[in-house]
Amino acid sequence: MKNVAPAPEAQALRRQSIALRLALMFSAVALTVFALIGFAVHELLSRDLARHEQEQVADRIADLRFMLERGRTPELIDRVHDKIAAVTSNGRTRYWLWSDDPVWRYGDEAGRMAQITRAQPGILLLKVAPGQEQLAVLGTDIAATPVHPPLRLVAAIDTAPINQILRTFEIWLLPVMLCGALLVAALSYRVARVGLRPLAQLSADAQDIGPDNRGQRLRMPALPLELAELGSSFNSALDRLDSAYTQLESFNADVAHELRTPLANLIGQTQVALSRERDAAQLREVLQSNLEELERLRTIVSDMLFLARAERGERAARRIRTSLAREIDKTVEFFDVLLDDAGLQVRVEGDANAAIETSLFHRAVTNLLQNAIQHAPRGARILARIDATNERARVSVSNPSQAIPTEQLPRLFDRFYRGDASRPNSDANHGLGLAIVKAIASMHGGRVFAQWEAGITTVGFTLGHPDK
Amino acid sequence: MKVLIIEDERKTADYLQRGLTEQGCAVDVAYDGIDGQHLAVHYDHDVIVLDAMLPGLSGFELLRSLRAVKNTPVIMLTARDGVEDRVRGLRDGADDYLVKPFSFVELFARLQALTRRGRQQEATLLRVGGLTIDLIARRATRDTQRLDLTAKEFALLALLARRQGEILSKTTIAELVWDMHFDSHTNVVEVAIKRLRAKIDAPFTAPLLHTIRGMGYVLEERGASA
Repeated sequence: MKNVAPAPEAQALRRQSIALRLALMFSAVALTVFALIGFAVHELLSRDLARHEQEQVADRIADLRFMLERGRTPELIDRVHDKIAAVTSNGRTRYWLWSDDPVWRYGDEAGRMAQITRAQPGILLLKVAPGQEQLAVLGTDIAATPVHPPLRLVAAIDTAPINQILRTFEIWLLPVMLCGALLVAALSYRVARVGLRPLAQLSADAQDIGPDNRGQRLRMPALPLELAELGSSFNSALDRLDSAYTQLESFNADVAHELRTPLANLIGQTQVALSRERDAAQLREVLQSNLEELERLRTIVSDMLFLARAERGERAARRIRTSLAREIDKTVEFFDVLLDDAGLQVRVEGDANAAIETSLFHRAVTNLLQNAIQHAPRGARILARIDATNERARVSVSNPSQAIPTEQLPRLFDRFYRGDASRPNSDANHGLGLAIVKAIASMHGGRVFAQWEAGITTVGFTLGHPDK
Repeated sequence: MKVLIIEDERKTADYLQRGLTEQGCAVDVAYDGIDGQHLAVHYDHDVIVLDAMLPGLSGFELLRSLRAVKNTPVIMLTARDGVEDRVRGLRDGADDYLVKPFSFVELFARLQALTRRGRQQEATLLRVGGLTIDLIARRATRDTQRLDLTAKEFALLALLARRQGEILSKTTIAELVWDMHFDSHTNVVEVAIKRLRAKIDAPFTAPLLHTIRGMGYVLEERGASA
């Protein structure tokens, strides 16, 4: 396992180790489980011991009852005394015998014991005298026989040994539980360290990725199930960064290229003009041509700045709620002469009210229509559609066109992207038209979409709620 | 028209001065905020062209101190077109703003619009050469011949006639005729002008609607040499 450099002390205090936390949590769980088991065992044990106690007292009673009920010899009282002496020799059992005939009495305070047991049937727990052990006491009546009068027989056993068992259990329970919990903590710490090994590998993999090997990714097959999701999220985050990085690189190259052509024209034709004596008309011609190139440069710079503003997250500030169909009608009216020239027709369908910055909205729709006019065959119909779906307006422009491969569709909105590489460089929008649509959509909290289906290209954007 | 230019970039200030002087304006120039403030406060101008970023005193500060004493129309020039700059300029009392790089034609058109604001009732019958435009009857004739124009063509012609002799950029035309307030990189205006020209100029000998390459269009009667 690769060792990670130890963190500074303060940091280590603030940041808990996962293994340590797991170990502590596991030992807390173990402690709880042990306590529950201990409690249950204690309950069972004490119940069992009580039953055992009861049986023992009942046995003691049964021993003498048999003798007293069946004995018919006149010396029965002596045999009873002998029997009692034998049974009580261990000091744990005691007997009392009570009757009206003083001959048939046994034990100190037999009368009181007879009374107490009569008053409360069943097993009694009591101390016969203060300072003595607690006794389990049971009394019973024995009917008169030819040899003796009615008797009250009381037996008792000392509960101390039985209670001692419980006491020992209670004393040992806590330390054993704590030792168990500590053992669980130590073991689970080890186990967690072993279990977390894939994380260390993940971190080592991640550390190897840098600007020089942007393509490298975390090794997914090596990751366990729980880390697979993290790993794949991380990898796809890297993919997104990578493609943004690549796009930025190619974008810089594109900008330089777009500016290079007009700059070259400017420098070249100015040098040619100045290399000879020219008359005013020729010089004017050069200046006019220069002006056109400069206008082109200005447009590119302005559009780039506009895109940069949108990218910085600028939102459309002066939004007003208005009918989208009306604004689209205005834009279509702007295109009237071009549509007429190209023999195209535009139908506007649907309507929705949405909060828009009208000049931005006009610009987006203009670019969409321009795109459609460029690609639609002569005589075709262009459809501008407005759909309103739960708080979101959706504007799209559809036109018949040649097939566009699915993978090219999202790239239509890239800056300087030209689906048809052979298209002339002096294209009216410098390849920024749809990128500007995308920027305007994002300034309105919306997004763009493009699809091609059954000979129809549909490009459009959504408008988000102004408060979002 | 008396114009004050406050701009620290010499090349910009100089070409503006030359251009505006040639358009018949009287031009004062200040190259920093302190001088600019002095000229703006102590002399009267019809309009002030004010750069936002100036040494000494920024354009915004100058504007605020100027507004405390007078209401000369001000057009701000900004290098950044962030919303904040625009809002700040307009809130502080600028009447209009232009983002660099701007075109001279655009600036001149805006200056004229600012000084024209609130001026006398405009004529309802415009004449350029043999062309007559009746704004109330919405009818145009040339040499007594009635011209058959669409609504937009009429609006375009009326705009050009109202500003006859003035170069109008495509952006200005798109803004005033179609209400499209952005640089549309379409050739709508070119095509519309071509169609208008076919109706008002083609059947006649002397053209009135002229293209100024790279700048825009102008409607005027020119001598035979043009």
